[in-house]
Amino acid sequence: MVSQLVLAGLALALLLGLTYLYARSQTEKSESYTQSKDLVRQIKQLNAQWELEILKSRIALTHDYDRLVSPLTEIQRLWRQLSAVLGKPQGLNAQRWQVDRDGLVESINEKARLVEQFKSRNAVLRNSLTFLATAEDDIHKQFAQLNPDEQLRLQNIATDTYDVLLSCLEFSQTTSDSKAAELLLGLNQLGINQTVLPASFGPALENLSRHVSLILREQPKVNDLLARITALPVAEQLDQINALLDQDQQRAETVDQHYHTYLQVFSIIALGLLVFLGKRLLHSYQVINRVNEDLQASNEGLEHRVEARTRELKDTQAELLDAARQSGMAEIATNVLHNVGNILNSVNVSAEMVTRQVRNSKSAGLEKAMHLMNAHTEDLGHFLSNDAKGQMLPGYLNQLVEALATERQVIVEELRHLSASVDHIKEIVATQQSYAGVANLVEPVQVVDLMEDALRINSGALNRQQVDIRREFGNVPEIIADKHRLLLIMVNLISNARFAMTGTSDKVRALTLGIRIVDQALLQITVKDDGEGITRENMARLFTHGFTTRKEGHGFGLHSCALAAVEMKGRLTAHSDGTGQGATFTLEIPLITEAGDA
Amino acid sequence: MLVICLMLAAGGARSQPLDEPLTPLPLPPVQDPAKVELGRKLFNDVRLSVNASVSCASCHRLATGGADDRPFSMTASGQLEPVNTPSVFNASLNAKQFWDGRADTLEQQIEAVVQSPREMGNDWRAVIVTLGNDSVYQADFKAAYADGVSAANAQNALASYERTLLTPDSRFDQYLRGDTSILTTDEKYGYQRFKEYGCVACHQGVNIGGNMFQKFGVMGDYFAARGYVTEADLGRYRVTGDEDDRYVFKVPSLRNVAVTAPYFHDASAATLADAVDVMFKYQLGRLPSEEDKRLIVLFLKTLTGQWQGKPL
Repeated sequence: MVSQLVLAGLALALLLGLTYLYARSQTEKSESYTQSKDLVRQIKQLNAQWELEILKSRIALTHDYDRLVSPLTEIQRLWRQLSAVLGKPQGLNAQRWQVDRDGLVESINEKARLVEQFKSRNAVLRNSLTFLATAEDDIHKQFAQLNPDEQLRLQNIATDTYDVLLSCLEFSQTTSDSKAAELLLGLNQLGINQTVLPASFGPALENLSRHVSLILREQPKVNDLLARITALPVAEQLDQINALLDQDQQRAETVDQHYHTYLQVFSIIALGLLVFLGKRLLHSYQVINRVNEDLQASNEGLEHRVEARTRELKDTQAELLDAARQSGMAEIATNVLHNVGNILNSVNVSAEMVTRQVRNSKSAGLEKAMHLMNAHTEDLGHFLSNDAKGQMLPGYLNQLVEALATERQVIVEELRHLSASVDHIKEIVATQQSYAGVANLVEPVQVVDLMEDALRINSGALNRQQVDIRREFGNVPEIIADKHRLLLIMVNLISNARFAMTGTSDKVRALTLGIRIVDQALLQITVKDDGEGITRENMARLFTHGFTTRKEGHGFGLHSCALAAVEMKGRLTAHSDGTGQGATFTLEIPLITEAGDA
Repeated sequence: MLVICLMLAAGGARSQPLDEPLTPLPLPPVQDPAKVELGRKLFNDVRLSVNASVSCASCHRLATGGADDRPFSMTASGQLEPVNTPSVFNASLNAKQFWDGRADTLEQQIEAVVQSPREMGNDWRAVIVTLGNDSVYQADFKAAYADGVSAANAQNALASYERTLLTPDSRFDQYLRGDTSILTTDEKYGYQRFKEYGCVACHQGVNIGGNMFQKFGVMGDYFAARGYVTEADLGRYRVTGDEDDRYVFKVPSLRNVAVTAPYFHDASAATLADAVDVMFKYQLGRLPSEEDKRLIVLFLKTLTGQWQGKPL
């Protein structure tokens, strides 16, 4: 038990350890790392593209500043994304991260600011530079309109203008202080020349001067802006962030390596534990197998025993059933004998009466009269007319005839009684014989007739006890049933009811018999008495084998009735409100009529 | 795939798009219609202003080029705006918002306008209370945004709506897409002059401007000539404090320029011709012929696009 607990604890600890290590080694680090690297790469690429577009604008390859706007928008979007992936700077490099990230944001913002200025200044610078040639052309056109003398006189002025144009273009290519000074000189010369030239040259020359001045002013600024833009260490800062990412990742990988080692160690321990557990399991399995086999063997034995027992039980039950049936038969026989006995009484009485009549018969007087007559054979006439005795003889004979007639009447009467009693006995015996020995035979039965038979079997005792029989018979068709079993149950129930009412002497004993059909499916037979009733504790044992409350009872009756009811797929129930409240027994069997419906 | 084939076929049937410093308008972005519709409602709702007197649409009138035909719009407090109202049409294509470019996004612009005492003069918390008390708005917000009524959502809805306010199919865009016969010869000459004189140096890209800043008065002192300087004239200087940014403004888009008079931040030019004159004088420093200016104005008139299928 203790070892099992230790084992469970160990397994749990291992599991937790493994889970922890697994979770730690599976951090999002590497995922966010690749994502961050990718974003940094994209930003770097955009930054390069941005610079390329700036240079293209610088040399007037493109005139569309949208291309200088979109890389910044894109960089800012990617940077927000990267910031979200990176989260707040933390860990060992937190401070460096903060510094580098702030630095990069600052550089990008500065670059954006410088690019804005570059766009503005470059635009006007480009315009002025492209205008130079046109401006010079305009002035030359005016020159061409001058007369040849004038042209010759002002040739050097034309050359000066041309020189300014050239040095301006040179300045824009190589912006140096010396070139600037040269250009300034040229501008001054233009101013001086203007005073010599006709007034019509004024606006064109002034315009040229303004544009040259603008170039002089803006070109260094544009160059400076470009220098500052390219000097911004955006790419380097991105590289630093890349390096930081790599560093963090490397550290994470080292930690990961450690975790992996731990994970391996834990795994090996877990494996050992598993092997150990496997062995134990194998062992347990063997034990279980063995126990199982034993169990199976004993099970088989048990099965045999159960079979044997069942067989015994079945035999016993059959015997019991036999006994019950026999007891039922005995019950009927007892009743029959009882009734026969009763009738025999009257037979006896009748016989005695006849015997007494015969013994005290007046026929003896006839003998005496005949003796008197025989003694006076010769003088019979005289004797009859003169003798005192003889004179009384005819009268005597007349009386005797009357008496004998009466006597014969009585004897005939008694003999009729006797004959009737014997007939009754014959009937009872015949009834009993008609049921005895017929087992489990299903036949059409008139239930009401059967009930009357049951009453008749019990009639002697019922008469003697002056039981008032009430019949509540419904209209019941001829049913198909086991006549013998039904009669057995009815006889038993009536007999029980009769016995239950023997104690109740001072009131009218009513036995209510009911036959009716319930729900077109059940035949219900009730036997209700108002006898001593059934106590609650007896109610429970009522149908058990051997239970009886009567001294001479054997306890088979109700038990066999209940069995019989079950054999008929019905049931027998008892109800009593308690001692002195009477009892009602109800037999319910399936209603099967000739028509075949249930 | 089929659509692409059809488009390619259609493109081929006409001719190739032209490679120019100006580019045609893109298609409107794909957005949640519920947000756009909510933005449309908000755009027209005067309750965004402090005293329920003006809505976005009061100054950005879609019927009149998305801008105000008055030189300076009337603010909620009854004062006049310090600068001329720029058009809301195609505003989403500008790199920055406001004349001085102080807002990087439409959302920022909306946030600022509602709260600015010189515009709607309201407070976003108050706006949210107002909108939150309206059951219809509550349902609309709930349908468009998981977290319902909020300042950020209202700004996003308005911005979403404004992103749909593009005016495609101007005659010039059709020209750029390759339908070169749609412009008259004069208009084509106008475009050529526009490029030659260097207008295109600033007014370029998809919005024909709107993607850079420029000093007002490169070739001459515009404000000195005008005679006075206001706070608003300082332009981007007020945002950056950089001396180089004094009088610097966002280069406005020239799309629909013919229908968005008056012009410039100070609404000083009543007609296109006036505006072109000022530009030549103070920005380009050039002496164009009258004919060239006429041609350029002709070209500018081809930049008027369509809204809801009808030319502005």
